[in-house]
Amino acid sequence: MKRILALVLIVAMIATLGVTSAFAADDGFVDGKFTETRHITVEIFNRNNDGGTDPTNNVWTDYLKKAMLDRYNVEVEYVSVGRWTEVDDVNNLLAIGEAPDVCYTYSGTTILNYASMGGVTDLAPYIEEYGDELGDLKALIGADNLYYDKDPATGTLYMLQGAMPNNGRITTFIRQDWLTKLGLGLPTTRQEFHDALVAFRDNAETLLGADADKMVPYTTSTDIGWRNDLMSISFVPNDITDEELYVYGYDDRHMLYPNYKEGIRELNAWYNEGLVWKDFALYTDSTEEDNMMKAGYVGAFMHNWDYPWRNGEDSIAANLVRNVGPDAMYVPIDCFENDAGITRKFLGDVVGSDRKSFIPSTCDEPLAALLYLNFISNADVIKYLQTGLEGTNYVMAEGGAYQILPATGEWVKNSGNNIDYTMTCNGLYLGDATDASTALSYPGISADLVIQANNYSKTNGRIAKHFNCGAIEAENDVGTSLTSKRDALLTKAVTAAPEAFDAEFDAGMADYLASGGQAIIDERIEKLAEVYGYNFVAK
Amino acid sequence: MKINKHMGFSWKTYLKRYWTLYLLLVLPIVFFVVFRYTPMAYILLAFKKNNILQPPWQVAWAKNNGFEWFIKAFNDKNFLDALRNTIVLNLLDLIIGSPMPIIMAILLNELAYPKFKRLTQTVLYLPHFLSWVIISSITLRLFATNDGLINKALGTAIPFVGTESNWRATYIILGIWKECGWNTIIYLAALTSISPELYEAAEVDGAGRLRKIWHVTLPGIRSTIIVLLIMNLGHILGSEFDRPFTLSNPLVVGASKTISIFVYERGIQGSQFSLSTAVGLFQSVVCVIFLLLSNWLAKKFGERGVW
Repeated sequence: MKRILALVLIVAMIATLGVTSAFAADDGFVDGKFTETRHITVEIFNRNNDGGTDPTNNVWTDYLKKAMLDRYNVEVEYVSVGRWTEVDDVNNLLAIGEAPDVCYTYSGTTILNYASMGGVTDLAPYIEEYGDELGDLKALIGADNLYYDKDPATGTLYMLQGAMPNNGRITTFIRQDWLTKLGLGLPTTRQEFHDALVAFRDNAETLLGADADKMVPYTTSTDIGWRNDLMSISFVPNDITDEELYVYGYDDRHMLYPNYKEGIRELNAWYNEGLVWKDFALYTDSTEEDNMMKAGYVGAFMHNWDYPWRNGEDSIAANLVRNVGPDAMYVPIDCFENDAGITRKFLGDVVGSDRKSFIPSTCDEPLAALLYLNFISNADVIKYLQTGLEGTNYVMAEGGAYQILPATGEWVKNSGNNIDYTMTCNGLYLGDATDASTALSYPGISADLVIQANNYSKTNGRIAKHFNCGAIEAENDVGTSLTSKRDALLTKAVTAAPEAFDAEFDAGMADYLASGGQAIIDERIEKLAEVYGYNFVAK
Repeated sequence: MKINKHMGFSWKTYLKRYWTLYLLLVLPIVFFVVFRYTPMAYILLAFKKNNILQPPWQVAWAKNNGFEWFIKAFNDKNFLDALRNTIVLNLLDLIIGSPMPIIMAILLNELAYPKFKRLTQTVLYLPHFLSWVIISSITLRLFATNDGLINKALGTAIPFVGTESNWRATYIILGIWKECGWNTIIYLAALTSISPELYEAAEVDGAGRLRKIWHVTLPGIRSTIIVLLIMNLGHILGSEFDRPFTLSNPLVVGASKTISIFVYERGIQGSQFSLSTAVGLFQSVVCVIFLLLSNWLAKKFGERGVW
């Protein structure tokens, strides 16, 4: 009898334990809210901008903290890391076990590297269990995209992709006033663009007078892969397959795409005709080039689609007007057609090519951290962070557009449109008001010009298909060394004498491939076969 | 041991007698233990799998009995290039750069007018206080192939920093310009210790200026020269970061990418901590070997050496 009683007691005890631990597994999370207050830390970029506020403690963080507490009963604390030393800073924080519970970075490779060290929480089981709680995140990036980086072999998921609502990249700009002066129209083909550059060069005296020797018909920088992209890729065959885009798509500069070399050959020819800034190869920062544009010496260039209008009163456009006159301005054009006669752009997808968030394994509250990512993806939260206080941060313009004002004092935004806080969303996200508001984002610049530049950057855009092949180990090995190899090879090829072009380009490419480029291509081909059963044959 | 007790003092006696001095030594020793020796435990990382999230002694050994990263580095063309560039630049610095402060110090020493001497010295020291970031941007304005001030003035287009061999020359000359004056300090100090009587004696013997420099001044600072040479040889594989990094441009990476930049690209930017620790360890070991070797050589030639 005693024995039975003991057994019963033991069973009861185990049952109670089971029940209580079942409750514990519930994490005190009832009806979408924690029953007890949880505490998480969140990474935030520190830009140390003049007149900025403490990024961990200001009106925006006050709003976020309060809203998170109200909605989920989660207390949020912000941890700042340097915007331009983000990877180093997070390295250090991870190494001492004090990484924020919610981290974000542009570098997916870095996250996978941490994951291989066991430093990142696998989100798959959490999304599985709490997927219903992530409605806002799903609405922003799409439900399928939650699993964008799910490893096809192991099923692990180490990061969540953010959105970049406006995926425009690069537009070509040309001096409208110079064209007018010379009686030329806006170039619509590569040949016309080239002719315009020749005309600038030959009419330097007319256009610049005493400063004729400072004439630079076209500038580029040592980042030729970005700064000459549209011209270079106009030589890439239009029928390039999605698989080719993947296999040769290690970096977003497109250098490995077939026939890319011919675009660089063309630029080399321009360089040797005296159409390109002679000393571009020596300057590794943009100050010198920006100054030439501001002073009015530069005829045309290719850059981020809003480049001439950035920085308000100190923008290239504003300086140009001050230095040269009210007519002086850069206008967008779209003139580099490929073999199919269209002005191709290779764009990143709205989801998958921007910032990525992850939760380090030191995080004790992965659910709370995940809910933060959901909260920050809420359309209203994003709208508030991007617009702010009416009258201080914005005024309503015609047609429901938000005209953003450069606020100072406590309502200042440390990053443009608060993109550092809207961690899962990089770029204006205001629903129907987005486009009209974007057009009003550049004081003093006509909305039509802005819309046109943005449109051109996406005209005939092609988004490479997403092949989810898991981590490519060869990419871990190279660090940033391939980036500098790429810039060196392109810069040397462009500045070579025409007869030395092939030798220079081929030698540089051979070195690039031998230094890890080929290993990446090979592994991508291998993975494509493994995961998708696709037999890739290099042409 | 009996003899010792009577003839020498035990450590307790020393401690009792000089305890204030030892006390003074405690803080520096603590500093060295905490900041110089304890971190050395992390050298283990060079032999372990790449992981910074756990202490290295808990991480599994790397492949090939722990030598995976060393093998990888020496099979990596980029590392070998960096190694070559480091040695070439340091050797050039050593051969061309190290005699300069000696010559400069002797020249200064020969200056008769003290005020002018002091002014010259100060002017020579100044570049030492400029950072390479500033110097590199001045360099570009002066030496750019087409837009540079010098080429404009000469009406030429000499690629001072645009080809690898020219870039090396510019790199060495800028190094001399920046550090030469500063490095004269130690030689000038050594010069003041030479007894004036030697000069007077030489004069009596009818020695001219050059004779005096050759027979009195140079021998007087010989041991200083040797010590500095040994220390420089110890750095033959060491590499500065900011100098090659800021002066570099894409046209000359073939000459400018040194080990420090390799470590930066792979380790800090690429999270390959084990590989970069291995490379760093290799650098240190070679430096120590060079240091020992040159010290031994110095002693062999009858000099005092560093220790």
